[in-house]
Amino acid sequence: MQKRNRAFFLCLLLMGLVLAAPVAAQDEPIDVVAWFAFTDYRLDWLQEKAAAFNEQFPQYNVTIEGFANYEELFTSTTLAAEQNSLPAIIQYFEVATQDALDSGYFKPVAEAIGDREEINGVEVALDDIVQPASAYYTIGGQWSSMPFNTSSAIWFSDMNVLRAAGIEEPPATWGEVDAACEAIMALDNAPQYCWTFPNHGWFFEQWLGQQNALFANNDNGRSARATEVVFNSEAGLAVLEWLDDQAEKGYLYYSGTQGGGSWSTAQQPFLTGQVAMVAFSSSDTAPFTETGAENGLDVVASFLPYNEETGWTGNLIGGASLWLVDGLAPEVEDGALTFLLWLINTENAAEWHQVTGYIPIRESAVEMLTEAGWFEENPNFIVASEQLAQSEVTPATSGAVLGAFPAIRDIVTQAIDTVLLTDEDPATVLEQAAREANQTLEEYNLLNAPEE
Amino acid sequence: MSGLVPVLIIVLAAIFGAVYMANVFRRYRRNIAVGGLVGAASATAGALLVMLPLNFCTFEPERQTIDRVFGFLLLAIGVGLVLWPVNWFIRQRFEGNPLFATQTQPGAFKGWLTPALLLLPTLAILAIFLYYPIFDTFSLSVLLARLGARRSVFVCVDNFTSLVTDPSYHNTVIITLFISFAIVIIGLALGLLVASMAYQPITGARIYRTLLIWPYAISPAVAGVIFLLLFNPAGGFINYVLSNTFGFSVPWLQDPTAARWAIIATSVWKSMGFNILFYIAGLQNVPNDLKESAAIDGANALQRFWYVTFPLLSPITFFLIITNMTYAFFETFATIDNLTRGGPLNATTTMMYRIYQIGFVNQDLGKAAAQSIVLFVMVIGLTVLQFRSTGSRVTYGA
Repeated sequence: MQKRNRAFFLCLLLMGLVLAAPVAAQDEPIDVVAWFAFTDYRLDWLQEKAAAFNEQFPQYNVTIEGFANYEELFTSTTLAAEQNSLPAIIQYFEVATQDALDSGYFKPVAEAIGDREEINGVEVALDDIVQPASAYYTIGGQWSSMPFNTSSAIWFSDMNVLRAAGIEEPPATWGEVDAACEAIMALDNAPQYCWTFPNHGWFFEQWLGQQNALFANNDNGRSARATEVVFNSEAGLAVLEWLDDQAEKGYLYYSGTQGGGSWSTAQQPFLTGQVAMVAFSSSDTAPFTETGAENGLDVVASFLPYNEETGWTGNLIGGASLWLVDGLAPEVEDGALTFLLWLINTENAAEWHQVTGYIPIRESAVEMLTEAGWFEENPNFIVASEQLAQSEVTPATSGAVLGAFPAIRDIVTQAIDTVLLTDEDPATVLEQAAREANQTLEEYNLLNAPEE
Repeated sequence: MSGLVPVLIIVLAAIFGAVYMANVFRRYRRNIAVGGLVGAASATAGALLVMLPLNFCTFEPERQTIDRVFGFLLLAIGVGLVLWPVNWFIRQRFEGNPLFATQTQPGAFKGWLTPALLLLPTLAILAIFLYYPIFDTFSLSVLLARLGARRSVFVCVDNFTSLVTDPSYHNTVIITLFISFAIVIIGLALGLLVASMAYQPITGARIYRTLLIWPYAISPAVAGVIFLLLFNPAGGFINYVLSNTFGFSVPWLQDPTAARWAIIATSVWKSMGFNILFYIAGLQNVPNDLKESAAIDGANALQRFWYVTFPLLSPITFFLIITNMTYAFFETFATIDNLTRGGPLNATTTMMYRIYQIGFVNQDLGKAAAQSIVLFVMVIGLTVLQFRSTGSRVTYGA
């Protein structure tokens, strides 16, 4: 009797467990995976935010995975898509916008939001996003992705060195850079080189945009699909010739590294005092200012110097936006949307700006920071926003949208590499690069463009 | 492609096959007509094998001479691929050689079923992980295809023929050969030198040997990072030593020649442990009495090494040449990716690294596939060449 009883209870217990399992599963939070192209303090910040989000919204479990750089994440995404193992949210750099649209992996966030004003109590308020970002990421009048980290290319100077050379203000034009370098290199304790920049295609694009010159046809691919690159113009040649001249004079330090790996090779010589000035992304304003101060530099940020012969029209944005993967389960999609909107709410947008240097993505965040006196105390942090705000919005300064842009960027950095390291004629090198880029673009459009 | 041209090409191939095999049959005094028929049939099969997947596209009227030349080359390969085994098989039959080992050999299987069953798992794995990807690579190589693209377009052999006229590709091939040969030659020479010192019976020999072999356990990627720090032109240890002792420094990663040597040095260091390990093992097997008798005959240390030890090590050397060659071609990738990323000015872009750049970074699958086939053919060619030239001189002892 005893034995039978025990067997009975065991059965009951088992049944109870089986019945309870689905109930327990319902309490399990919904997994939302997000891929970001950061591995440094920015990834830490995101993971902290994800933890805070999970606490506030216990029905979701957001996990953040980091990748070395944008280029690597871009490749990983394409490979993951081939194997049907995409996460819910992916951070794509701005130049991959056309590829992202053509890929069919993503759902426009505007479409996913619909006419909802809030999701899980988080306000949508996309009209609050600052103008340069909304100009870039609304394509065909619709938000295709959620803007997140937006930067601009700016200029950092170690004023200690500049002042020693008798220069009071950071240089504003190419000519002033040249004059400043002449004075700096004549110093007794002159640094090894005068200035440097990461050989990343983005800087070529910035200097092109400043001169109001297009990168690709059809208004930089904004009035219709870009079918040809047009960077082999006088403006493009002016950039290469200027860089060539600076390298020849021994002013420009070139690390020999291209693309995604080139950032650190430009940051390190500046922060260790081997160069006096550097062109960089505003994204790292915080580490530049802080580490610079620790190393005894007086780091001042200013607008990216421009070609005084053609004048300054404006600069373009850089950085990345967050894309929502298509075909998610409705509850995962809502969770992803909630996280996206929460991540760029006013408080988080302001905090993200403060820890990095990316521009505050919301007008309300700018107001909040201004009221708190942040920009007065930290003048370096307003430079990128100011530079973008003062920019005239033209197709050239809105930035190019074209297919295979990541690959075409590599062709451009390759051309700069050749110009800086050999005696080859910049005009010939640029023509060759344009030919290669056109072939890549033509092949891309042939294979990837959706049928009209 | 339809029309007369394909028929003409098949007939051409068939005639060649017929003449060739008829000749073979004539030499063995067999029926020439049968030989002609066998030859024609196998040559036709070979021609169709390469030309059907391509739909005879290389002979389309709007194609260029280079495409036609390439077409004939492919045709020759296809015909050879079928004709050669047929020829071998028939000769064996005519000479009365048994095709398979007979039961005279002890331990051989009697039937074919058991060995086939035992081979099956290996074959299945090979088919899934090796033959299928190779087949896939071949079919990709004639396409204009991008990773994640909606469509792909058949481009005949353009991916191959464009390489012939591309100076940057020629440059890549030369760089690959230069780096690979340098790695093999320097790696083996240094490995042998260190091994002949390390195998001496001295106190603590075991510790030295372990320490010497250690680098082999490090992955190429980690080696790349370590040497990136060492070679760093601004704050690297190598330039620090150079400038302190000799008063100059080398722009290791900015100068094309220096960067190439930096890659070679890193790769040699990385593969050294492996070479030392095998050479020590080889040296321990060299019989002492041979060296002693050479010494009694008046040979000095160098002569003893060169005329006695080195020839006895030839099987090891031969083995190491092949493994080092494979290493230099395929496994230097991670080192290059960490040290130079193929730069400066593509001076360290080897064929393997270029395939990665085109296939994964630029996402251009078709061109990457074509280039990996070229690399595949080259490595096969080199291996055959090595077996032919070195193989005959290798002494495996009595």
